[in-house]
Amino acid sequence: MFRLDADRAVRFCDGLRRRDFLHAGSLAAMGLSLTDWFGLRALGATDNSKDVNCILLMLIGGPSQLDTFDMKPNAPVEIRGPYKPIKTNVPGIEISENFPRTAKHADKFSLIRSMYHTAAAVHDTGHQMMQTGRLFQGGIEHPHMGCVLSKLKGPKGDVPAHVLLPRPIGNTGGNMPHGQTAGFLGKGFDPFVLNADPSDPNFKVPDMLPPDYLTALRVDRRRNWREMVDRSVSEFETSSDARLLDSTFQQAYTLMSSQKAREAFELHREPEAVRERYGLNRFGQSCLLARRLIEAGVRFVTVNMFETVFDEITWDIHGSKPFSPISCYRDLVGPMFDMAYSSLLSDLSERGLLSNTMVVGTGEFGRTPKINPAGGRDHWPQCWTMLMGGGPIKGGTIVGSSDEIGGAPRDRPVTPAQIAATVYRGLGIDIQQELPGVQGRPIPLVDRGTEPISELFA
Amino acid sequence: MRLWIALLAIPALAQKLAVLPPTVELTGPEARQQLIAEASLAEHSEDWTPKTQWSSSDPKIAAVDAHGIVSPVGDGEAIITANAQGTSGSVTVHVKNARAPFTWSFRNHVIPVLTKMGCNQGACHGALAGKNGFKLTLRGYDPDVDYDTLTRSSVGRRISLADPDESLILAKPSFAIPHGGGKRFAKDSLEYRVIREWIAADTPPPAASDVQIQGLEVFPAAAVLAPGADQQLAVRARYSDGHTEDVTRWVKFSSSNEGVATVDDWGHVKMNGSGEVAITLWYASRVLYSRLSVPFPNTVSATAYEQFPGRNFVDDLVIAKLRNLHLAPSKLADDATFLRRAYLDAAGVLPTAAEVESFLADTAADKRAKLVEQLMQRDEFVDYWTYKWSDLLLVSSKKLNPTTMWAFYNWIRDSVKQNKPWDRFARDIFLSSGSTRQNGALNYFVLHKDPIELSENATQAFLGQRITCARCHNHPLEKWTQTQYYQMANLFARVGVKSGTSAGENIVFAKPSGDVLHPRLARPLAPTPLDGKSIAIDSPEDRRIAFAGWLTSPENAMFSRTVINRVWANFMGRGLVDPVDDLRATNPASNEELLAALSKDFVANGYDVRRLVRTIMNSAVYQLSSEANATNQSDNVYYSKHIIRRLGAEVILDAMSQVTGAPSAFGGYPAGTRAMQLPDTQVKSDFLTSFGRPARNICDAAERSSDPTIAQALAVINGDTLNKKLSAPDGTLALLIKLGMSDRRVLEFVTLSAFSRYPNDSEHGMLAALEKTSGAGHRQAVEDMVWAMLTSKEFLFNH
Repeated sequence: MFRLDADRAVRFCDGLRRRDFLHAGSLAAMGLSLTDWFGLRALGATDNSKDVNCILLMLIGGPSQLDTFDMKPNAPVEIRGPYKPIKTNVPGIEISENFPRTAKHADKFSLIRSMYHTAAAVHDTGHQMMQTGRLFQGGIEHPHMGCVLSKLKGPKGDVPAHVLLPRPIGNTGGNMPHGQTAGFLGKGFDPFVLNADPSDPNFKVPDMLPPDYLTALRVDRRRNWREMVDRSVSEFETSSDARLLDSTFQQAYTLMSSQKAREAFELHREPEAVRERYGLNRFGQSCLLARRLIEAGVRFVTVNMFETVFDEITWDIHGSKPFSPISCYRDLVGPMFDMAYSSLLSDLSERGLLSNTMVVGTGEFGRTPKINPAGGRDHWPQCWTMLMGGGPIKGGTIVGSSDEIGGAPRDRPVTPAQIAATVYRGLGIDIQQELPGVQGRPIPLVDRGTEPISELFA
Repeated sequence: MRLWIALLAIPALAQKLAVLPPTVELTGPEARQQLIAEASLAEHSEDWTPKTQWSSSDPKIAAVDAHGIVSPVGDGEAIITANAQGTSGSVTVHVKNARAPFTWSFRNHVIPVLTKMGCNQGACHGALAGKNGFKLTLRGYDPDVDYDTLTRSSVGRRISLADPDESLILAKPSFAIPHGGGKRFAKDSLEYRVIREWIAADTPPPAASDVQIQGLEVFPAAAVLAPGADQQLAVRARYSDGHTEDVTRWVKFSSSNEGVATVDDWGHVKMNGSGEVAITLWYASRVLYSRLSVPFPNTVSATAYEQFPGRNFVDDLVIAKLRNLHLAPSKLADDATFLRRAYLDAAGVLPTAAEVESFLADTAADKRAKLVEQLMQRDEFVDYWTYKWSDLLLVSSKKLNPTTMWAFYNWIRDSVKQNKPWDRFARDIFLSSGSTRQNGALNYFVLHKDPIELSENATQAFLGQRITCARCHNHPLEKWTQTQYYQMANLFARVGVKSGTSAGENIVFAKPSGDVLHPRLARPLAPTPLDGKSIAIDSPEDRRIAFAGWLTSPENAMFSRTVINRVWANFMGRGLVDPVDDLRATNPASNEELLAALSKDFVANGYDVRRLVRTIMNSAVYQLSSEANATNQSDNVYYSKHIIRRLGAEVILDAMSQVTGAPSAFGGYPAGTRAMQLPDTQVKSDFLTSFGRPARNICDAAERSSDPTIAQALAVINGDTLNKKLSAPDGTLALLIKLGMSDRRVLEFVTLSAFSRYPNDSEHGMLAALEKTSGAGHRQAVEDMVWAMLTSKEFLFNH
């Protein structure tokens, strides 16, 4: 998200100060329309910084390692499940037949087959840990990795530093989830949440531009007057929520005044063929939107593949209602992922963005090695496989392995905290540093002794 | 700050050195007790245990070591004396059975050792699947199963009676042989000795006749400490035979706020910040906390408290807390601020310009109290509280058809209108049977269909307890056990719901049979409310009667505390317990004395919600300014100033409609319906969704969001909702202009309507520009002026 308490001057490549939109009224005096103004802004040079970005694909529900990326063809049928492995473009790496397109890009990502966590086997714990590296306890709400990046590096240009697509994770059982916000860093570093479905035919970010009946002069006058009215009350200064409101208005005006920022959200600018390649569904179009946002300067995009696990076909294949059947990996969820993920990797690669954009894909846990009586698999945090590639992360390798039934890591066990450390290192963040916590108490970015997966770095 | 420097610089002279626990009984040869020497200084206490010289009046009865650990030598009484810095204190120790034969108990010693050492935690052998073929019950919730696992499974290799040291249960955790979980304890530790001696005694099994734990005590239970202080805690368990044991080293400790204090595995607390913290203790599914605090680094004169205009007990108890924490209360809010706040908090609407002018002009001394009474009589008050309880009970057309949704909503509305006592409100839900169309309350049983959902929702909505963890095992951090969970669920096993004769209608009835089975025991347990009395499993009576009786009994403090906390949070911006719906035993209120007093008053006066509202609104604490003084800038917990917060989605929309005279239209509802009058959160409104209206999917106060977002800013800058209200051809602005009202008067009218006050210089600053406009340009300038006001912080926030 944008920095709220920007304590240093923010420079823009076009040489215009951000407050200049405040004075768009004076542009009218110069004979410039609002459209001209937006045009001027768009002429600004693109940001050439070589910062590493990240797209985090949250595969809500928890994909079964045995039916996706850690096949056990030699195990008994009740373990190996209904699907067969296929070869990929990297000799020695096999994945499920449900991902034929992804198999052609195995050189672009690596598999970590020894993921595990030790918290309760419910969705929320894994979601928390995969996004923050930690569990919610001790009254401390740890920040999402994208929010940390936002805090440490701030936005690049006019777009938010961290965007969440398409909606936050909702109720997956138990309480409302933790781990999707900036937590103790403060709401000012929360992600910009799209809260819309990019596959909707009428999709657009609502209210990005003034309606026809409002001239630039009036938008400008309103902004001036609002600041005048706000100046008259002092007691709001100690309220962090009130300060946050100010910054949301500033950021809204920034978005409005930046053609580049607005266009990043305009999926209809993509050729139909590209849209179809990603899959004409919520996840596919969210991945495409993620690519556009990264191109426009967003540093971190979180894509939640699903919002909940109830009454929706997801990775959560318990085999009984209101959850999903194992066949959905072949019929729906698998192809959906396959199209979007393979297109994202190849598209980023073709555009030269993969070299500075990590793509991380993970569920919140794995699934029981043995198929349950309903024909599905239940929660299994003891072992799963996740995907990492792009940026400084090597492709075409396998980290760790699981035992013969995919039930536990056999070697190189990897925790969510290590993944956070790996992502931070990949983003070029010093993992030894501390963040300002509650009452200013420093909290280490990752716990001491938590090391990134060094073999993933070239 | 100077005060603390002074305290630290001069060698402290204690007024009193107390030895804790205040009485000590040592039963059996293995009994031990950690003593704590707690010195009382002028304004705080200090743990002097590390610098204390300990001595025993009779070393043949009780011995004490340099760390203050007292142990039995012979039966009788001895006095242990603590000497430190010229002050002394003492405690009498009673020793019993010092030389009696003794064996460690599997239930009361071996399991706690395994638990403390982490063997049976979720990450290790307590995982659902165990670890490397060895599975214990999570945190030792089932000693019988664990006993079987240790002694019978794995061909007895885990226990070697012939050579206890060869037992895997000792060799692995002491790392005599490799152990995936590393070294958990040393061979010369007490933990090793407990297990070894238990094996050597032929592994006595857990028995029904074992003494059972009854409760915990912690010392000190509360203390005010200096910044950066260290404090050792001592924890004692009480058992069914009356004896006590020091269990400090086997307790799991955690801090409710690590910004204020941290605690290590041994109960050693380090204070890092200012404010209060609960150090919570978990031992054998019993929980307790010690309340420690460090005053803020302020010097506040006593007059700040003495001159505070205390109006009722709320004020007395808040002031007592502020005094302890060295926080000075802010000044009282002015009439205009109070008026706006009271309208918004009690009824979710703004006062009209006329109401503002008449209140400001009123010179009666009791005009604020009178206003409180008037507000409670208004229809908007009923709308507002009906909406609140509809959020709580998840009224929506998502699972109910329109007729039954309206029936549920209207039942809540009627209850609020007649100020139905809160206990009756709950009883009316749980004690009813019949048609969900005729008795709307019954739709509760349509939204929550099975015994599991019913017991989980009832405990969350009415008791602020989250018991879901106990569905599969004892709650690992709380007191609720799996047994309690299924006893509770069985209270709802005989709720029947069948289709009625008309569309959407259901009939709720009491079934004559049916039980919920405990999943592991595969049998039903006697229906029993949490910590309540069981009823016979074969009793023909509707089990809900027992539940409702227990739920609403005056002894059930969770019930009154939960609703009081919600009402308090509505007015004060933060619950005494926070989060507002999380009243677990280890999450104490920021002012326990106040919550207890409110609860007592509420129960004694018939669960009267309006009386509670009156008590809160008439307190001086409610009427404090939100402006900080030199001492309370950072306080958002102890009510030293009023907490500023963004208005709710529905209130914002209604307030915008009210000021502009241009109501929003909601599909299917009559023109003029306010957002706060909607029975259903499924009614489409992008504006309400964007501003955080809850979906009413789950019973969780966090479902409603009041965080400002960029999308909200864009919605008011560019969105149609507000813009169309401002430009409405028949709205208030059009009318004022048509009437030929001067710009100055228009500004005044709008300021009164939006901010409940007269305009100030900033607002007058807009007039100069307005005067240069005419016709359509003038109309637009007026709209822009009002837009600036309706998007300002003063409008969007309650302050």
